[in-house]
Amino acid sequence: MFPIPTGSLLALGAILFCIGLYGALTKRNLIIVLVSIELMLNAANINLVTFSRLGVGPNISGQVFALFTITVAAAEIAVGLALLLAIFRVRKTTEVQDLNVHKH
Amino acid sequence: MVEYAWLVPLLPLVAYVFLLVLGRRAPEGIVAGVSVVLTFAAFLISALVFRSVGQSPDQTGPYVFHWLTVGTHSFTVGFEVTHLNALMLVVVSLVSTLVLLFSKGYMHGDERFPVFYQYLNLFVFSMLALVISPNLLQLYIFWEMVGLCSYLLVGFWYFKPEAALAAKKSFIVTRIGDVGLFTGIILLFLASGSFDYSTVFTAAAAHKLSLGWISNDHLVTLAAILIFVGAVGKSAQFPLHVWLPDAMEGPTPVSALIHAATMVAAGVYLVARCYPLFQLSPAALSTVAWIGGITALLAALIALTQRDIKRVIAYSTISQLGYMMMALGVGAYAYGVFHLMTHAFFKALLFLAAGSVIHALDTQDLFEMGGLYKKMKLTAWTFLAGALALAGIVPFAGFWSKDDILAAALESGHTVLYVFGLIAAFCTAFYIFRVYFLTFTGQPRDPARHEHAHEGSWVMTLPLVVLAVLATIGGFFNTPFNGYGLERYLFADSPQGAIGATTPENVGLMVLSVLVGLAGIGLAALMYWRPAIQPEKLARSLGFLYQLSFRKFYLDEIYYAIVVATGKAIAAIVDFVDRYIIDGIVRLVARIVATIGLGLKYTQTGQIQAYTAVAAFGVLILVAWAMWSIGGVL
Amino acid sequence: MTFFLNAPMIGFYIIALFILGCAVMLLSFQRVIYMALAIGGVFIGCAAIYILLGADFVGVAQLLIYAGAITILIMFAIMLTNHEAADPPHKWTVRNILSAVAAVLLGAVLLLVIRSTTWPPEVEADVNGGNSNPVAVGLALFQNYTVPFELVSLLLIVGMVGAVILARERKEDEEE
Repeated sequence: MFPIPTGSLLALGAILFCIGLYGALTKRNLIIVLVSIELMLNAANINLVTFSRLGVGPNISGQVFALFTITVAAAEIAVGLALLLAIFRVRKTTEVQDLNVHKH
Repeated sequence: MVEYAWLVPLLPLVAYVFLLVLGRRAPEGIVAGVSVVLTFAAFLISALVFRSVGQSPDQTGPYVFHWLTVGTHSFTVGFEVTHLNALMLVVVSLVSTLVLLFSKGYMHGDERFPVFYQYLNLFVFSMLALVISPNLLQLYIFWEMVGLCSYLLVGFWYFKPEAALAAKKSFIVTRIGDVGLFTGIILLFLASGSFDYSTVFTAAAAHKLSLGWISNDHLVTLAAILIFVGAVGKSAQFPLHVWLPDAMEGPTPVSALIHAATMVAAGVYLVARCYPLFQLSPAALSTVAWIGGITALLAALIALTQRDIKRVIAYSTISQLGYMMMALGVGAYAYGVFHLMTHAFFKALLFLAAGSVIHALDTQDLFEMGGLYKKMKLTAWTFLAGALALAGIVPFAGFWSKDDILAAALESGHTVLYVFGLIAAFCTAFYIFRVYFLTFTGQPRDPARHEHAHEGSWVMTLPLVVLAVLATIGGFFNTPFNGYGLERYLFADSPQGAIGATTPENVGLMVLSVLVGLAGIGLAALMYWRPAIQPEKLARSLGFLYQLSFRKFYLDEIYYAIVVATGKAIAAIVDFVDRYIIDGIVRLVARIVATIGLGLKYTQTGQIQAYTAVAAFGVLILVAWAMWSIGGVL
Repeated sequence: MTFFLNAPMIGFYIIALFILGCAVMLLSFQRVIYMALAIGGVFIGCAAIYILLGADFVGVAQLLIYAGAITILIMFAIMLTNHEAADPPHKWTVRNILSAVAAVLLGAVLLLVIRSTTWPPEVEADVNGGNSNPVAVGLALFQNYTVPFELVSLLLIVGMVGAVILARERKEDEEE
């Protein structure tokens, strides 16, 4: 008998995801927006690892997928931060609002 | 030999493609040489086909191959040689050869000389292909193609405003007829499920042509009349004849080939080809007869007073085509076709001779000519042969065919039409000799032009001589002396009780029509050769009648008032509807969209997070909806 | 209420509270550098959850990559840009309200779904096939997921090269 209920783990993931979503939608600093997206990815990872242990068909694949996600996230954050640096060099800002190129 | 008949239209097509490849700068000699040689080859093949059809009539059947299938109907293309076709092939290819040769001299020096030959070859191809089409659909395609070539050639000197206008007029007026023809073809197709002549005619004869809304007899009448409308347009019959005189703006060889010998005869050919259909409908036949008779008389009356040499001959063409229609209408199928043949010879001759005169004098006005006999003896003599043939003087070609038609009209009980024909014959003799006397006799009215007039080179005179010979002896194809050879030939493939096959010759009628012709010539001589009567005085004393003829019965003006003015009124209404209603709706729609766009502009902030928020809402809605539809959650 | 008594359960709740606390702090801090520290807490908490779930290898990888490398990378990024940057005090703009509503509603829907689903009983399952966890993960990676594994390594290379090219100083930038 595994002690932790599946629902609790999934609920943790869900709440973490929503916090990340809110952060990604509202934060003004581009770095923090990226960080919030990492938060959402972690929430997804919690789900993957949970289902690799619990649920209908426990399987090692869940952990493998979590590893893949981590790898992709690492690549993503590297490219994202590089882009950020490039933008900062030109615009001297990391504020999302200032990256608007629309002409009103 | 018959199975090689497809070569006949192919050779001019080869010439056309060849000239197209040679381009616009090709030397005149090569252009004309290739065209003439290939067309002459086509003529030789035609002659062989003509002979072998006569010898073994059973191998004429359609040679077709499958083209395409639409639904349950399958269409074929190919060719078919009947006795009528074979005759037409010979006539068309012969006249084409001579005209192509003549054009070498007439068009010499024109900077678009090769283009002219391209068009002519395309026309010859289309016309020959029209003739051997085995079904109505193929006929219609080539029918339109000859119309197109006519348009191109009438408007050949497009930089002359009159030529451009005449080209448009000829195209549009014949289109009116084409719509009728097309409707008729579609009607027959709907009823019989086929475009093939033989299928349609068999079904019509078996009373199987009927649609839900129309019985067999009515459908046959309707279809025949619609097809005749097409012929009316193409053969310039009243009331659609107005385009042909204007079409004289084209080069004269074009007038000779297209507007005298071949294309305008296509209408007559069409009626003759569909004759089994017409025979089933007395109403359609009498329509043909009356339209033909009226046209013959009307055009002859107009021709009396025209000043332009080509226009006189053009009205003469209309009149003679009227004769042919009349012949077909009264049931004298063979005579109509016979007249078509003789007419092709002598009318092409008249046009080419006129072309020779125009080439020499550079004017078309009769009253600027005169006294040309001394300078152009050959042209004068050949023109005289054509004029005598046209006037119906024994033994020239026109005498035999015209006399047969008049006799057939009288015999079939159409006395009024006979009288029409006789009056027209008188007028014909008068106007053509008016032209002859004004052109070739008397004193030059314009000495400056007369000064450098001279006969053309051999390329221009040879066709004249050949045609003059044909105009003189062409009538003997069908005389009592050879047992009505042409009639027997033609009736081999359409024996369905057409009258006139063996009309006994009526010497009294022959004498009467010759006398009428001679009277016309005599009157013309009195007025224009040995002036005993002053034409001006006569014109003045006739006053209104003269004006009526000179103004072509005001038909152009009437058409202008009715058709063009109505058209403009309708156009104005349509313009209003288009401008304020259709465009209004369009503008309204555009404005609504623009307003919505202006409103939505404010949602496009350029803030990536705003967009993402909307996307998140979308995801939320989708997830909630999915859960809702699975059930048991919310 | 008996399950409160066992140690893993208590541990899970503590870790969960820690993670959520860090996440909320991430949202509420004003200074960017503190936010980066808060995210480090979240990453470490997640690693603990993985280890608690028996996914030792993933947990360690999470520690190394996220808590180690990525957090440091973010720190560097902040330092290289305007590290004094601070988010202005939170304002309830229309967009913020809408975002909050979207996030809360999405959370509510997810929680309802989780709640209303009947989960299978939490039995002790041996997902490692008798091996230790790292061995099991390694076997799965190189037996069943070889091609994705190679593709991911390619992705990493491409990401790295791309990052270098993007972050490099260019002449045209200096000219501006």
